[in-house]
Amino acid sequence: MATSASPYTGTNGAVLRAAIGYLVGGFATFLAMGMLGLLMRLDHAGILVISPDWFYRLMTLHGAGMVGAVLLAALGGLCAVVSQWVRLSARALWIAFVAYMTGMGLVVVATLLGRFAGGWTVLHPLPFDGRTWSLAAALAVYGGYLFTALGLLIVCVTLLRGTTAACGGLGGALALRYLVSPRSRPQAGLPRPAELIATVIAIDGILAALAGLIYLVPLFAEAAGVVPAVDALFAKNFVLLFGHTMANLSIYVAAGIVYAVLPVYTGRPWRTTWPVVFAWDLIIVLMLVNYSHHLYQDFAQPLGLEILGQLGSYAVGLPSFIVTIVGALALIYGSGLRWAVPSILIVLGLWGWVFGGLGALLDATLPINQVMHNTMWVPAHFHTYYILGAAAFAWAYLYHLLAGLSDVPGGRGARIAAWLYGVGAAGFVIMFFVAGAHSVPRRYAVHLPQWQIYARVAVPFVLLLAAALAWLTVDMLVRLGPAWRRTRVPLA
Amino acid sequence: MTPGLVLWVLVALGVLWTAAWAFVLVRSRPGPGFDVIEPVENRLRLRLLVIFGGIGLLVFALSLHAYPYPRFRARALGAPTETISVLGAQWGWSLSRNTVPARVPVEFVVRSKDVNHDFAIYDSSGVLLVQVQAMPGYANRLIYRFERPGTYTVRCLEYCGIFHHIMRTTFVVH
Ligand SMILES: [Cu+2]
Repeated sequence: MATSASPYTGTNGAVLRAAIGYLVGGFATFLAMGMLGLLMRLDHAGILVISPDWFYRLMTLHGAGMVGAVLLAALGGLCAVVSQWVRLSARALWIAFVAYMTGMGLVVVATLLGRFAGGWTVLHPLPFDGRTWSLAAALAVYGGYLFTALGLLIVCVTLLRGTTAACGGLGGALALRYLVSPRSRPQAGLPRPAELIATVIAIDGILAALAGLIYLVPLFAEAAGVVPAVDALFAKNFVLLFGHTMANLSIYVAAGIVYAVLPVYTGRPWRTTWPVVFAWDLIIVLMLVNYSHHLYQDFAQPLGLEILGQLGSYAVGLPSFIVTIVGALALIYGSGLRWAVPSILIVLGLWGWVFGGLGALLDATLPINQVMHNTMWVPAHFHTYYILGAAAFAWAYLYHLLAGLSDVPGGRGARIAAWLYGVGAAGFVIMFFVAGAHSVPRRYAVHLPQWQIYARVAVPFVLLLAAALAWLTVDMLVRLGPAWRRTRVPLA
Repeated sequence: MTPGLVLWVLVALGVLWTAAWAFVLVRSRPGPGFDVIEPVENRLRLRLLVIFGGIGLLVFALSLHAYPYPRFRARALGAPTETISVLGAQWGWSLSRNTVPARVPVEFVVRSKDVNHDFAIYDSSGVLLVQVQAMPGYANRLIYRFERPGTYTVRCLEYCGIFHHIMRTTFVVH
């Protein structure tokens, strides 16, 4: 790949505009949901008192909004990346965007106006049995998820159509021939890593969206009184197969961005080697089998699925660490890495992906889960690989895209802000881990006095994070207009 | 494993990882070409695969003995001599008895009247000891042996509506 800051051509300007829509929409939602997060931590610290009703409504919105925001932004980034080589339909991307945002809007209405506080994980039968909100509010959330799943489905189908057309079918886009005979490395025609990853996540995204859509049918039927109560264990399996995969997808989508952007800052190519093909083709399966680690404490779950959950959770860490993380570090080592906001956010994301992954691996170990499940340890690990993982990669790409298109590189202040983003985020998530190790429950509106200390230490880090984000936001806003206009001009 | 110990394991692993990460960043200055690094990377990859794969399998095998499910606990602690039925409902717990004998295996049969809850037992110093989900339509059996007499607190650890955090009770082990 060329090391020019702006490798985009005028032919994909329409796709780039859609991608900017996804990234900016995701980033703005992330900021708004982050404010809700700050309010909740202030409540935990005993600094601000929020009523339980409002706390859990904000918590529900925060969870759904963040998962939606980060996935949307990461998808936008990946679309922009692959659109350099693959034809994508900008119209399909905008239709998906409208469906996705309609879904998010319904969740906003249901929580803020409809008093829905069933948690973003909508664990059946709580949404129908919440006592403080109506059935209509629950159905609005499910309707919102329906639209969001539809949006995801459209993006994934668009990506899959693009990559399979560019790589000569599904087998070509997954490099299956090379996978089965490693000595047959073709000189040309292998998908680029980002194309391979786009294909992998499109397949799992389609499966997750279908799982979500299928799952909603019996729930709507129950609400309409057509069928009796849906089995709680069945519901839990399906909602986590959908929700866990949705949340997990973000980090893999964002990893696809890293494969494309890190070469720009290291001046080294990230090639489609056999380990890259093997790891990513394997992830198609591994991403779908480890959701059961959320059901360890459901003793009624078949033992085989629990064991699969533990082994699957260990297994999915291997290809990610050994191929993507080690690959990224090898790309950086001795490269003369150019330090800029995107490269700083990417190295922070590499740190957080592994650190959060370590916390997740511990929690995926069944006897440890017995004393950690649904303590603060759980939000600790997924906040780590959101804020210092998927989100960091997505914002790296957003900055990279806007700076490249507008031709205004970031200054020293922005680089400092990027590092402070890391410091703030790390302090914030580490306090979640410490609280979890002290058995502080997650999802409690009221924290006992002896639990408040963890949130009190976390709050200054959150404020630092907010300040860093404010700086980066202003920095990106000034580039947004010129970047947008540039997509309308064919580039040389 | 106690929660405190788990934190120290994370700290140890986190320090190792952070050191490796920082080492690479320090060495990101122009150095050997990628043609030199790539073969080193491939050897390292293979080694890490063997090491981590081995550790993963070993940890899995060791963890099997400490699984919280009834058949594993009954084998480790002995067959339960006392049974306590537990019913979770929005937003409180009812236990069939409030005193539990110490140093014998006891069994909690945990059910839910409405939505999902999670029956979690905290010791008197606030440490989470064991937990099991309370699910509508299912009876989950949790076997445990209390070593120390004292007052234990039950908290709900599955979000169950806006008074989830007040869903607690206590019982005495003697
Ligand atoms: Cu509860």
